[in-house]
Amino acid sequence: MLRLEGLEKRFGDVVAVSDLWLDVGRGELLTLLGPSGCGKTTTLRMIAGFETATAGRVLLDGRDVTTLPPQRRGTGMVFQNYALFPHLDVHENVAFGLKAQGVPRADIPRRVERALELVDLPGYGSRKVQQLSGGQQQRVALARALAPEPPVLLLDEPLSNLDAALRERTRSELRALLKSLGITSIFVTHDQEEAFALSDRVALLRAGRLQQVGTPEELYLEPANAFVASFLGRASFLPARVVAAEGEIVVCELSGGVRWPAARGGVDARPGAEVRLMLRPEAIALTADGADGAGSLPGRVTERQFGGATTLYRVETPAGEVLVQAGARAAAQGDTVRLHPADASAPRVYPATEPPSR
Amino acid sequence: MGRRFAVGRPLIAVLALAAAACTGGDGRTPLVVYSPHGRELLTAFEQRFEAAHPDVDVQWVDMGSQEVLDRVRSEKANPQADVWWGAPAEMFTAAASEGLLEPFAPTWAAAVPAEMKDPRGLWYGTYETPEVIAYNSKVVTAAEAPKDWDDVLDPKWKGKVLIRDPLASGTMRTIWGMILDRSVRETGDTAQGMAWLRRLDAQTKEYVLNPTLLYQKLAREEGLITLWDMPDIEALQAKTKLPIDYTIPTSGTPLVVDGIAIVNGAPHAAAARQFVEYVGGMKGILLAAREFMRLPARTDIPPDSLPERLRWAQAQIRPEPLDWARLQQQLPGWMRWWDEHVRGRSGG
Amino acid sequence: MAPDTAPSAEAARTASGTGAERSRRRSSRTAVLAAVVLALLLWLVLYPNLYVLADSLRMSGRWTLAAYARFVRSPSELGALWNSIWISLASVALSGLVGVPLAFLFTRFDFPGRRLLAALAAVPVLLPPLVGVIAFLFLYGETGFITRGVQLLLGLRAPPWRLNGPAAILLVHTYTMYVYFYMFTSAALARLDPAQAQAARALGASGPTVLRRVTLPLLFPAIGGAALLVFMTSMGSFSAPYVFGGGFRVLTTQIFVSKLNGTPEDLALAAVEAVVLAATSLLFLGLLERLERGRAYTGAGKGIAPVRRRGAADVGAGVVAFLVVLVLVLPHLTVALVSLVPIGTWTTELFPPRLSLVNYRLMFTEPARLRPILNSLSMATTATLANVALAVAAAWLIVRRSFRGKGLMSALVVLPWALPGTVLALALATTFSVHAPWLGRFVLVGTAAILPLAYFIRDIPLVTRAALTSFRQLDPAVEEAAASLGAGPARTLGRVVLPLVLPGLLAGALLAFVTALGEFVASILLYTHATRPISVEILSQLRAFDFGAAAAYAVLLIVVMAIVFGIGQMAAADDAVRRGGG
Repeated sequence: MLRLEGLEKRFGDVVAVSDLWLDVGRGELLTLLGPSGCGKTTTLRMIAGFETATAGRVLLDGRDVTTLPPQRRGTGMVFQNYALFPHLDVHENVAFGLKAQGVPRADIPRRVERALELVDLPGYGSRKVQQLSGGQQQRVALARALAPEPPVLLLDEPLSNLDAALRERTRSELRALLKSLGITSIFVTHDQEEAFALSDRVALLRAGRLQQVGTPEELYLEPANAFVASFLGRASFLPARVVAAEGEIVVCELSGGVRWPAARGGVDARPGAEVRLMLRPEAIALTADGADGAGSLPGRVTERQFGGATTLYRVETPAGEVLVQAGARAAAQGDTVRLHPADASAPRVYPATEPPSR
Repeated sequence: MGRRFAVGRPLIAVLALAAAACTGGDGRTPLVVYSPHGRELLTAFEQRFEAAHPDVDVQWVDMGSQEVLDRVRSEKANPQADVWWGAPAEMFTAAASEGLLEPFAPTWAAAVPAEMKDPRGLWYGTYETPEVIAYNSKVVTAAEAPKDWDDVLDPKWKGKVLIRDPLASGTMRTIWGMILDRSVRETGDTAQGMAWLRRLDAQTKEYVLNPTLLYQKLAREEGLITLWDMPDIEALQAKTKLPIDYTIPTSGTPLVVDGIAIVNGAPHAAAARQFVEYVGGMKGILLAAREFMRLPARTDIPPDSLPERLRWAQAQIRPEPLDWARLQQQLPGWMRWWDEHVRGRSGG
Repeated sequence: MAPDTAPSAEAARTASGTGAERSRRRSSRTAVLAAVVLALLLWLVLYPNLYVLADSLRMSGRWTLAAYARFVRSPSELGALWNSIWISLASVALSGLVGVPLAFLFTRFDFPGRRLLAALAAVPVLLPPLVGVIAFLFLYGETGFITRGVQLLLGLRAPPWRLNGPAAILLVHTYTMYVYFYMFTSAALARLDPAQAQAARALGASGPTVLRRVTLPLLFPAIGGAALLVFMTSMGSFSAPYVFGGGFRVLTTQIFVSKLNGTPEDLALAAVEAVVLAATSLLFLGLLERLERGRAYTGAGKGIAPVRRRGAADVGAGVVAFLVVLVLVLPHLTVALVSLVPIGTWTTELFPPRLSLVNYRLMFTEPARLRPILNSLSMATTATLANVALAVAAAWLIVRRSFRGKGLMSALVVLPWALPGTVLALALATTFSVHAPWLGRFVLVGTAAILPLAYFIRDIPLVTRAALTSFRQLDPAVEEAAASLGAGPARTLGRVVLPLVLPGLLAGALLAFVTALGEFVASILLYTHATRPISVEILSQLRAFDFGAAAAYAVLLIVVMAIVFGIGQMAAADDAVRRGGG
């Protein structure tokens, strides 16, 4: 449906996006995720036609649209600040695209009303844009983009201006709506939780380069590199040395001599290689000191963050600092504890040289 | 599309304006006259002339004679005026030397004395304008009023003299020229004249922007004495009944030759010739003399056809002989020197 | 590059060719528009002034620095330069001292009639230049109402003062120019976030400290802008020094004197004086910009006025405001009174003995008297429309596009501010009096085009500034939204951009229209019989000693200006409401 082939965008000497290849299937909901400045918005704007790629192609339904101006691409767009036309009322806003595309005058009121019904704002046509709440404005922006029935809908952080509770509710409504319409959608966000909740697939970008694309589960459980791992959820990285490797499983020795199994994850980890071991907080079990010490990492709780459903413990170990998720009463600050891997596949190894930055 | 449309607009506007500039009026030949002679005189001549020449539409532009010269200069490449009517002879001489005027020989040319016209027929004197001493006749009686230039320096007028800004006024420049020319004639340089002007500066309460303000201030008794020209004061008396009268200086007064000329490259030269012919012709001269107290430059006007008051004035006037050639050359420098070294230096 | 035979691995690179082409095509369209606008600006704004510069370096056909040498050696020329500068600086200081406190008075205190008085406090802007000077004569001149009133009241034999010299110039300048400070500061105060002042108070700062350390610095951009305008206007001011100076020399009057003297040396000197005048103004512009750089605080303020409590201070403020406004409207009342005086009926009386509407009747019934009104209206309209078109194009380019020469364009659109009207008129008269199309020179002097052209050039900064502000406030996403909905550039411009920038643009355009309507300094040098505008007719009536007729025109101008400003205010208020929620 939508295909990006080696897309690149330079602003002078600065490379905003480089060599981006991506396929989005019909009806799929894909999120471009990444920290600010990673090039996700630039990519979206190249798809929409607001920026022209300095290299590569954008294909819509097999049609090369790389050089087409935005108004001739047929992509709908919802803007971060909604960009509603302040001089027009709700009806006129939603009708704008229909008029621009030459929809017969008689059909317009019906299609506007249908679009407003989709976003649950029936009968709001005569309202002034300023009279609407933030959430309502967001929905008008969505209705405006949907009214011309674009083959592809682009959404640039459309939920970021809503407050937390409303954002969460809108998120699931939005996904349900887009899925029911079967419209191909590309969604830009920097919020990992939002990306997971909304998308069929997530494309994670960093500094203009695609890091990994896949379902939320794939990205979280099998991050392609340390950046992906640390950007999506919490992770601790411990320096380690591979002592044995068999199939997808390797055994690493942490400093202090403790040996833990880990998933290889495509890393070239022959015995003797220096690696880093990535540990998710929920993939580690924490027990009080004095229990069976074999294969477990001793440590001391330096910080305890109570978070309601889960509690995070920061544990100082000879191998380094580890974040652990456990029950609210599992330990107290200052306690000596022991850590074990909870699931053999959960820890993963990554090359020692890759920066674990976030 | 829209962007091109946005830039196109000013260009179109400019072009439209240029096109509009080329269109004419109501079918009559427009005759543009630049003149400082004032609304009343110009309106009277416009009506009489148009009655005699119904195919011509006289459009006068009322401005000071210096401004006229300035205008004619800057419009040299594209003359707008047909006739320049009214300015001291030396201004016409300057314009003639710059090639701004067009020669013409009206039927009455011979009646104008040689020193009051251009030998090549580039301009002709129409009137002689005497400079006079004017005063507020409500406060100052005719007996008290200064009789001659030196009387204006009398201590009793200190702080009561108003002077029209001399740099901007042809009339005042002529008076200044006379004072300085006298000085050169009598002593060989301008020192004596400048000393006289310095004493006048000490008497002067204010240099006034324009004639209107001058009349107003004089009438409102902000000052009592001024130096000005006769026809303007006569016209003022006739029009406004302001309490302003004048005396003709006894030691002599410059008679400014006031002229008329056709602008070089005048767009409507034929009508311009008709107009000049009319102004200097007997009808025009008598109209100006009888209704506007203009002393004719022509020597062939029978005295009994002139109004009594004008004949009285003629009898009073002692023409001051001036070296016009010297003035034309030197006066700008003298005026500048006066402006920088005399004006306002004596605590006016 | 061989697109048709390129293997698939190179498809991307091939596509990169077309992509680059596309962006080149788009930026080349920008470049063409930018080139057209730049060329127009260079031709009309910069080019004519080069001829003035050339004139200052040329005498009797030879290139020479003689005129500059004469300028530098002449104490009176240097004196005039110094006078121009200190009068302008003093005008800035005095106007600021009046305008800024007045703005505080009307935004920080509450009293009955505050809104009406606040509107009336801007009335000096409604006084056409020449008329204002004459009104001052009638009021404060030696035999003026106020002067005579004070004289009678105190039983003085002589008038208590003379409206003369630098003090008189400064009085007139302050009266006419404080409005810039007043309007700019009022607008900035309305935008100011009260939270900042409250934060300072919470940190223990006293009232005066907050004013000095927080409020005034935040107002700096507005005050700086006003200071710049006042300085420029004051440098270019001619009527006030000419009428009230009493021989007090400033550069503008020196230009006039040199022009009148008319010898080749004097004409070259006039050009030098014009060059010096323009250079001084540009220098000040540069200094202020340097000073302002890095000081452009974007107000995050919600524009909520501080909570007002009516108290004793408010009563005092109300009384002061009422008195101030009374003084401010006196010239207008004077002009209105004088307009009722039939010619020749008022000489030495304190008040005119006879009043009638004859001047108004004549103005509308005599074709010759009606003509200047129609001329001014049509020429101001033409100029303003052209201003709007240019301003939209230039502002769109400057705000939305990147292209070579953007800095030059930004400088050119403010340049006419730094060039006094006399200099501009001189430049136009020089440049457009010769037919030399290959040099970009056409004979426009004496045609109907020259005055609208002069108005157009003078008002470029005014309208472009308004357009720039509007475009900067316009969210670019709104244009993109229109494009993403399938609207082409024309529809986007017509249905989205213009309606949104219109209110701001309208305010600038109306101001330009009003300025053009009353323009005098350039008009007097360039008008023809067929195009004489109201201001020249006023002068002509004054020459004919018909104060009544002149004042009637002035009243007409004031009324038209007031109406136009009313419309502008309503448009602005409308816009504020519209933007308020969004």
